[in-house]
Amino acid sequence: MEHFKITIFTSIIFSVILITGCSPFNENNQIEEIAPVIFWSIEEGEGEKFKMSTIMPPLIAEKKQIYTLEVDLIKESGKEFNLKNYRELKVGQLRIIVINEEVARKGIKTLINTLLADPDISQRLYLVVVSGSFNEYISNQLEQHEKIDYFFYRMLKHYENKGEITVVNLHQFMKNLYAPLSDPVLPLFKADNENLAYNGTAVFKEDKLVDTMTEMDEQIFQLINNHRYLKYFKVPAFSLLGGHIHSKVDVEFENNYKSVSVQVDLEGKIEDYLGEKDLTKQDELDALTQEMESHLEKQTKQLLNKYQDKKVDPFHMGKHTLKPFERPINDKEWINKWEQMEINVDYNLKLSPLNHVDS
Amino acid sequence: MNVLTEFSLFDKTSTLDGVYVTFMVNRLQMLYLLLIMPIYLVQPYMIWAILAVGVLSHFNLMILSKWFASDYSVKGYQGFSQLLGRPLLRFLAFLGLPLLLLKISILVLGYSEIVHQFVFPAVDRNWMLLFLMVVSIYMAAQGMEKTIRFIVIAFFCTIWMIVLYYSFFTYPIASLSDLYPLIPENSSDFFWKGILLIWSSLSGPEFLIFLAPWLGKNEKIPKYLSIGNAITVIEYLLLFVATQFFFGADLLRQAKFPMIEMIRYLQLPVFERIDIILIALYMFHFLFTIAIFLIYFYGGLRIIFQKRDEPINRLSFFLACLFIYVSLVLLNEWLWEEEQNVLVDFHIWAGAVSYILVPSFLVAMTKIKERTKGGTF
Repeated sequence: MEHFKITIFTSIIFSVILITGCSPFNENNQIEEIAPVIFWSIEEGEGEKFKMSTIMPPLIAEKKQIYTLEVDLIKESGKEFNLKNYRELKVGQLRIIVINEEVARKGIKTLINTLLADPDISQRLYLVVVSGSFNEYISNQLEQHEKIDYFFYRMLKHYENKGEITVVNLHQFMKNLYAPLSDPVLPLFKADNENLAYNGTAVFKEDKLVDTMTEMDEQIFQLINNHRYLKYFKVPAFSLLGGHIHSKVDVEFENNYKSVSVQVDLEGKIEDYLGEKDLTKQDELDALTQEMESHLEKQTKQLLNKYQDKKVDPFHMGKHTLKPFERPINDKEWINKWEQMEINVDYNLKLSPLNHVDS
Repeated sequence: MNVLTEFSLFDKTSTLDGVYVTFMVNRLQMLYLLLIMPIYLVQPYMIWAILAVGVLSHFNLMILSKWFASDYSVKGYQGFSQLLGRPLLRFLAFLGLPLLLLKISILVLGYSEIVHQFVFPAVDRNWMLLFLMVVSIYMAAQGMEKTIRFIVIAFFCTIWMIVLYYSFFTYPIASLSDLYPLIPENSSDFFWKGILLIWSSLSGPEFLIFLAPWLGKNEKIPKYLSIGNAITVIEYLLLFVATQFFFGADLLRQAKFPMIEMIRYLQLPVFERIDIILIALYMFHFLFTIAIFLIYFYGGLRIIFQKRDEPINRLSFFLACLFIYVSLVLLNEWLWEEEQNVLVDFHIWAGAVSYILVPSFLVAMTKIKERTKGGTF
């Protein structure tokens, strides 16, 4: 009887332990046999499909190749890439998602949801919109620059919180997408066979791209939005280049959101000037400052009016309506008020000139 | 090793210092519900709710400290049976066992789900159950006193994580406007559910009533209780404000485990997936709680089956733990997928009710007993 009890007891223990299955590990992560890719590029394919590309193998001293696939579902690429290449694709090191402008215009909500569903993909993933063909650029440049994908990532990382260019990661995009009073933005790059250059900022309404800001508009955006610092401020209308510009922005709503006054104080120095004025004389410097102020005011007002008509708020003006002890304004109500608001912009420039000024 | 030899679970070798109370109160309040709390609290004005419920909890703990001050508590089982009478005690133990089982199951299943989702998605979920149970059984088998001493390790392994949340306050996407509005809208359903959740999350210290024999009679227990509660409330506030800065109220609704997702956003220059280490360290105080509950469960079984006179042997202890493990596996198989919300709701209600009733009930019984005895005991 004793033996019987002990046998029953031990067999119960064994079966209970073996409920967990014999081998708990299902994945093989040997480092020579995986390819942790750095970016995915998504373009339009035939019909409704997406064309996805990536470089494999990344960061190993082997000849790299760009692989392209046509897929219906984004994550299908994970499976299809594995079947094409003998190394298994891993998304743990995925750093950049490059989205073509046309794809962005159609909406990227499904893409974002796919990325969020995977626990391996970090939320610090950079999202980038590219006009032109990123794949062509990569295929052409891969021969000379082997680590091109890695260096693109390093560039984005370098500028992450500096304010020179817009750099947005997945989490920031999601936060602005869901926040009721602001709209998300993404950086816009332009690619052709030889170059990949930063071109401006892409403005999104919900998850669809509606507009792009380039050149002067883009600089105004950098100054008025969060980072408030530009290292180089180019004003071609006056043949002037300002440097180390700090900006302070004050937004005040008046009259129950019927009008808003935006006060921008810019401070910096003039680093390069090719115009006709003689900046060593104080009165000419003052005249130049006045002209620039009105020019900037006009440009900014135009830019904000444009977004009023499009019913989009990339400058996050809505956030300034939040006060601690007042009810927050509703999303739809805000967009209506934003559309009809009268905008007054006032600039205050303080530029220190190139050299000594005779008063 | 003969399985039937005596082994001591309930030995007392020395009186433990009151600071153990602080550690235990704090860690018992920082369990599973904390991880899902921001999803229910969502709006930034719930900061006031956390403060208010924290103050209420403080008063409740003062009531609990009156229990510790009474003569019945130090005597352990003798005190309880004198206070309540044996039949009532058996009945209450009978009620308490499913409650304990529910709490253990939520802790174990919840933690294994977190590990399954974030750390080891490819590993079979039952493996994590087995691992947690084996380690908890080992610790529980060391005896009540050693388990209580373990809280020091568990506390110091997990308390420093609060420092990491400092970085969320300094990210550029955080702005003070994330915390507005600070006044509540019309009190909706979810406001009361949020308060219930905070109260239930603060529950846990009522399980310290059985530990009075190890703590001895200590006048400073109210002080230690309130310090533990205060630390918890500060942690809740910091974590909730950090989630507001990080997610904003609307994105918060979509998250499943907001704390873990925030930890995943942290990165060190050398090591990226720091969340793996943090989730693993988080296991320490889960372990402590499960071990204490296992010992309670075993003690409760002995009371119900009236085997208090027989010596404790390993076999009966392991059988009790085996029973718990098997019920966990069954719960995982049948209920955790579909009815998870129901289980968690049960857990929330059970925690809230036990936190309110247990201290008041015991103190009321003490007062009634003293009155019927006509004076001091």
